[in-house]
Order: sequence, then C-alpha cells, then structure tokens
Amino acid sequence: MAVQVKTQTLPLFKKLRQMPKEEQYVPGHRTCAGCGPALQYRLVTKAAGPNTILLGPTGCMYVANASYLCTPYQVPWIHTQITNGGAAASGIEAAYQVMIRKGKYQGELPNVIVMAGDGGSTDIGLQAMSALMYRGHDALFVCYDNESYANTGIQTSPTTPYGGNTTFTPPGKAIPEGKKLFPKDPPQLVIGGHPAVKYVATASVAYPVDLMNKVRKALNVKGPTFLHIHAPCPKGWKFDESKTIEMARLAVETGMWSIYEWEDGEYKYQYRPKEFKPVKEYMKHQKRFAHLTEEHIAKMQAFIDAKVKAPGVPVKIPVPGPRQED
Amino acid sequence: MAKEMTLSGCAAAAQAVKMAKVDVICSFPIRPYTATMMELSKMVANGELDAEFVHGEGEHAQLSVVYGASAAGARTFTGSSGVGVTYAFETYSPISGGRLPVQMMIADRALDPPGDFGSEHTDAMSARDQGWLMGWSENPQEAFGYFVSHIPGKVQLPDQAQVDEFLPPYRPGAHVLDPRKPVSHGPQIRPDQGAIMDLQRAEAFLAVPQVIREVVDSFNRIFGRNYDPFLDQFMTEDADMVFFMQGGHAATARHAVRHLRQKGVKVGLVKLRFVRPFPTQEVAELLSKFKAVGVIETSTSYGGSMSGGNLLAEVRASLYDVPKRPLTTSFMAGLGGDVIPLHEFYWMAEVLTKALKAGKVGKNVYWAGFEQAEA
Amino acid sequence: MFNIPKGREVPFGCVTPAPVGEQPMMITGNWREYRPVIDEEKCNLCGNCVVFCPDACWQFNEADDAVVWNAKYCKGCLICVNECSHDALSKAYELDFPDGVVRLEKPF
Repeated sequence: MAVQVKTQTLPLFKKLRQMPKEEQYVPGHRTCAGCGPALQYRLVTKAAGPNTILLGPTGCMYVANASYLCTPYQVPWIHTQITNGGAAASGIEAAYQVMIRKGKYQGELPNVIVMAGDGGSTDIGLQAMSALMYRGHDALFVCYDNESYANTGIQTSPTTPYGGNTTFTPPGKAIPEGKKLFPKDPPQLVIGGHPAVKYVATASVAYPVDLMNKVRKALNVKGPTFLHIHAPCPKGWKFDESKTIEMARLAVETGMWSIYEWEDGEYKYQYRPKEFKPVKEYMKHQKRFAHLTEEHIAKMQAFIDAKVKAPGVPVKIPVPGPRQED
Repeated sequence: MAKEMTLSGCAAAAQAVKMAKVDVICSFPIRPYTATMMELSKMVANGELDAEFVHGEGEHAQLSVVYGASAAGARTFTGSSGVGVTYAFETYSPISGGRLPVQMMIADRALDPPGDFGSEHTDAMSARDQGWLMGWSENPQEAFGYFVSHIPGKVQLPDQAQVDEFLPPYRPGAHVLDPRKPVSHGPQIRPDQGAIMDLQRAEAFLAVPQVIREVVDSFNRIFGRNYDPFLDQFMTEDADMVFFMQGGHAATARHAVRHLRQKGVKVGLVKLRFVRPFPTQEVAELLSKFKAVGVIETSTSYGGSMSGGNLLAEVRASLYDVPKRPLTTSFMAGLGGDVIPLHEFYWMAEVLTKALKAGKVGKNVYWAGFEQAEA
Repeated sequence: MFNIPKGREVPFGCVTPAPVGEQPMMITGNWREYRPVIDEEKCNLCGNCVVFCPDACWQFNEADDAVVWNAKYCKGCLICVNECSHDALSKAYELDFPDGVVRLEKPF
C-alpha cells in the first residue's frame, strides 16, 4: 500500500516583524564582511525553515561557508560539484519520494534547495539545472547572482555585466571595455522551455520580505521552481562593504535588475520605478566599472532602456557581436 | 522457487536490480549497457519494480543523481559504457570518498576516438584509482551477481526470499541527509588534513577483502554457488602455465584451455574477479605455483611501465617478493570488441612454451594476431 | 595501525555535525575594525539591522522591545549602520571599547 507523499505549505507574510525568528544559517562563516550571497542564504533558509535539505555546489557559498570542517547550515546540507547541483538535488528528491512511498521515511517531503552561484546555474551547472526543471522534481533551484566566479578570485561568468572588470576580462589597449559580451538572462533560460515549471521569480537582498515570500511561494509549488537573486559582492564589484544593500537597491532603481514573478505564464512586476535613474548612478560606486568611457556607459544605458520595457523579452545588444565588424 | 531463464548479461543485471529492490535508478543511453535500463524501465512501467526511474541528462548526471539519492538513504543503481564512463569521471572520487554506497554497472566499451561499440576494459580501468570496488563477470549468471552484457546465456534466478535473505533492506548509516538529524556532508578540509583523508580511505580499502570474502561466502551459501571471492581457477591442478585474465573473454579461454589440454599442453586459466581491491596476496600465492603466466590484457595503458596493458604491472608487483617467480608476459587481445579466436590462444600457449624452454620471455608485450611470425 | 596527529582527524566520509544556533569553529568577531553602536532612544525597532545582517548579528530580544548585538560574530561590515532608518546606529572604533577585540592580522 503506497503511502501518499505529503508536502508542507509555508504561509506568506506581509511585514518584516512577521518573518521567522529562527536562523537556519547561523553566525560563524568565513564569508566576506558585507557579503550579499551570505545574506540571501540567510533569508532563503529562514523562509524555508527546518524541514529542508540544502545542496551547495562549489562556489563562494560552499568554500567560504564550509571552511574548515564546519558549516553554518543548521539543516542537512551536502556539497556537490559545481557541475551537478541540479542532478544531485534530483537524486535527493527522487530518494525521498520513493522512501516515503515505500514507508521507509515517515514525514513530509523535505524542501530540497540548490544554492548555486551564477556559474553553477547558467554556465558549468546549466545542464543539470535545466534537467531538474525538465524532469519536474519537487525542488527549488536558487541562483544567487554575484555576477562572477567570485570564489576563484573574480572571473567573468555569463552574468557578468557588459564592461565588468574581472581577472579574465581586464581592460586594456586592445579591449578598452574589458568585457565585450552582454550577459545571459537566467530566468529566461528556464521560462518557456520547461513545461513542468510553474513559477520563476527574481528577487534582491534589498527587498527581503519580497525575497522570503517568493522562497515560500516557490517551495509551496509541487514541482521545480527557480529563483534568481541579486546578491552584490563588495570584493568582486569593488565597493565599500557597508553598501551592499544600497547597491542592490540602486540596481533596481536604475533598471540594472528587475524584480518580477512569472507564474503559470503571467508576469507580475514588483518595485518597478516610475522613472529609472541613469545607470551611471549605479555604476559609479563600483570600481569594476571605473575604466569605462562615456561611450561604453551609453551602450549599457541603451541596453537597459530596452530591457526595462518588458523584462524577460530579449533585446538586441547595442554593440556588434564578437564576430561582427565594428 | 528458483527458475531458469535465458538472458543476456544486460537483462540478467536488470533482474538483479529488481530483486535487490533498488530505490532510485538513473538512466542515460549508450551502447552496449543500454539494454539494462530498457529492461528496468519496463519493470517500473509495469509496476513490477517500485523505484524512481530518473532520466539523467548525461552520464555525469547519472552519477550525480545517485550521489544525491544515496546520501538521502536510498539504494541506488546506474550504469554506462565507454566514453560515458569517462565523462562521469569527476563524480567517482566524491562518491567513494563521501562513503556513499552506489552500484554502477559498466558494460565495457572501447573509448573514443572514434566510435567503437566493441568491448574493451580501458573505460573502467581508467578509474581504478578512484576508490571504488571494481570487478568483472564472465557470463550472464555471474552478471546476475556481477555484470556481462550481450551474449545470452542460461541464468538461474533465485527466488525473492533468497535475495531478501542475502540482501536485507538497506539501512543507511548515521550520515544520511535527514531533517530530523541534520549533518553537513562535505565541508572543506585544511590542506594538512588531505593526507589523513586519503589515509582513512586507504584504510577502509584494506578492510574490503575480508568483507568480500564474507559476502561471497554468504552468497554461495544462500544461492548454492561456489564462487571463489577473488580468483577463479580452471584446469590449473597440474598446470605448468596459465592464462591470467578478467572478464567475458574467459569464456573463450576456457574452450581454448580444454582444447590445449586435449593436445597435451599443461595449461590452465586463472580468472581475476576483482581488480579493485587487487588481491595481491592471493595472486602471489596462486601464480607462484606455475612456471609461466600469460597475462591477457583487455585494456590499454599507453606509455605505462609495461607499455601495453594494465594487468601485467599489477601481476608482477604482486609477485615481486615471491622467491621463486614464474615467467610472466602479456598478450594484448580482444581489444575493441574483437573476439579472441582459439588459434590466438594456441599461439599464446606456444609463446609461453617457448619462453619456458628458453628460461626467459622474449618480450613483455605481444599484440596477439599482429606479431610477425614469432612463436 | 597508523599515527594520526590529534586535531588533524577527518570524520567518516567528511560528514560533520550541523551547528545549532551558532558555529563556534568560525568565530568572526575578531575581523572588525569598527563596531556598530546603538542609541536606543532613537531606535524604532524597524528591524532593518536585524534583516540586513549577513551574519545575523542583530536579533530582537525575547520581549521584542529592543535589538541585541552579537559581539562574538559581528564582522563590522556596517551594513546596519548604513541601513538604519532612524540614525540610531553609528560606527565606533573597536579598540575604544574595554571589551574591544584586537583585529586578526591575517584571517587565513
């Protein structure tokens, strides 16, 4: 007699004071002071609660958190390769489905949450992330976006902005902008191409109640969900560590980051400014953009202007493609 | 009630997986192991096997899925062949070092370049250092206990009660991922702990041969078989020389040995069951009884110490401390899916006979079937 | 059979116990150069400091009528000072305090 697999429903809340008090990501981790990804980790796990299993593909949120022989994860957690967060999560979810069905485990299906960086979600980890979405496992894939491979010393990733100075895209005489490529759009990689996915959302550490509610909404969905969370990195973007939340807020205010939900085919936007501040207001605080000329910034502005019209809809890049003539 | 069926190795493996009541299976197609997954998918679809059949997005994913499932406490199964085995390479050490029990079936296949569906052991042999137990089966019956892919043979399937006695329900250890008892699986270690991690893994491996003996004992008792845990012998009683090999070609080797014996050649066959852990002691004790050993190599190791295959070096290392060592040489044979024809075995026996007469081997590596007339 | 020096052991399968409440194997209070200081008169319990700290070093107390600072782990990033909605938080030099912690020269 097969046992029914039950999952919990987490209530949404309106006010900051109503957020759960308990930490599942406790003090005592080697992340940089002011680390954006650490904050989103704390908020995601706080919203998820104790009936949770976390996966940590290699990256900042593995190495900085789990050195040495200790972690700040109060819930069960397992390391995975940077390549396979989605696959290992599929295995854990499948195991729990069958163990509950066979009566080998009594309890509700735990939340299964992959905490992957932008590389582990859209680059080296893309295949596994997509397969999780395709196969319909009941799991949440979180992409914490610090716009680089930060753990290895800040190298470019597919979400590094145009013009971002990283150790693989340094500006120089031949390449004055440093980074010529425009970034991938992670939620768009998921939406539309994976029929089993019913909920995708973006969030930011600057809007924590929104973030936590989206985590709960995603976890309440019986199926695969994807959250793209903006997590500014003081070391990588080169700004003062006390300004992490300010940077996240400016990103939204300038259009460099859009906050929205996609649910069953419908888009809903949150925190959409009536008037967008110029992107310069955001970029001027971050030394990773210090080398850019007015011309480069204008290109960024053009891109963002087009993008904010309808976040999610692809826009033409304002520079020639890598194989095109200038 | 045990029943007899004619099954290919792949199908026999699927029967074993079903009777072992595996919880999570992860598939991805590649010749020639695919048939096992096809069988299993039918069993799951029919309700004969209650398991999660996960369609992996590649071999690396297959191993990653069972890594997660095993960590969560499920009994797992996956498999591959050839370049699929090497694509998944990154995952092998995390699985063995993470102490996660995972069963992987490899229907050996030659590695690219280019495509070659034929059998060769280099795929699995390349992963010898990753900390897994590795062994070969010779026929579908052994495949049921271990694995051999496509040649059908008679398989005696035990009844479920026997399997349940041999393989009780999987009770995972204290380090599973369970929200009721949280653990952190795999935080970083300091560089000064790296050696200790390795040492602990090495120590675990030293304990494996005894476990294998106990398990094979129990297997033999419950299923009425008579397998030696490490080395299978055929007509070795008064042999002067033996062929030493692993895997499916042993079936042909047995015929060859029988024919050669009829011709008066005192030859036998020693078949290696496990290449990891390599039964160093058992190999030394047994092979030192013979005057010559022809190691049949079914995998390649370009530029290796023997410049041929992988087994000769392991055999010679095992024999190093034996005061009276047999002559040893190796024959590259059966590579790329080639069957080893009987006349090649006869030729190998002649090479060994000549070596015995001369008191030394002509060379360390012979490419059987391609040498200029030598014997 | 082998001599493994104390303090260098690796647990089975590299599986460690999960922390409860805090991770004392990674105390980070000795990272800070400045610490946040609160003027309780000005604090309106908006909760910004509580929610924005990556290290969970501001918490509401039992009665929910004040916020409490965690000296053991605070890294001194000063996000809380920057985000305080009522100017209740300001920064002060760590070693000006009797319980000030000398900053770790080289964390690792």
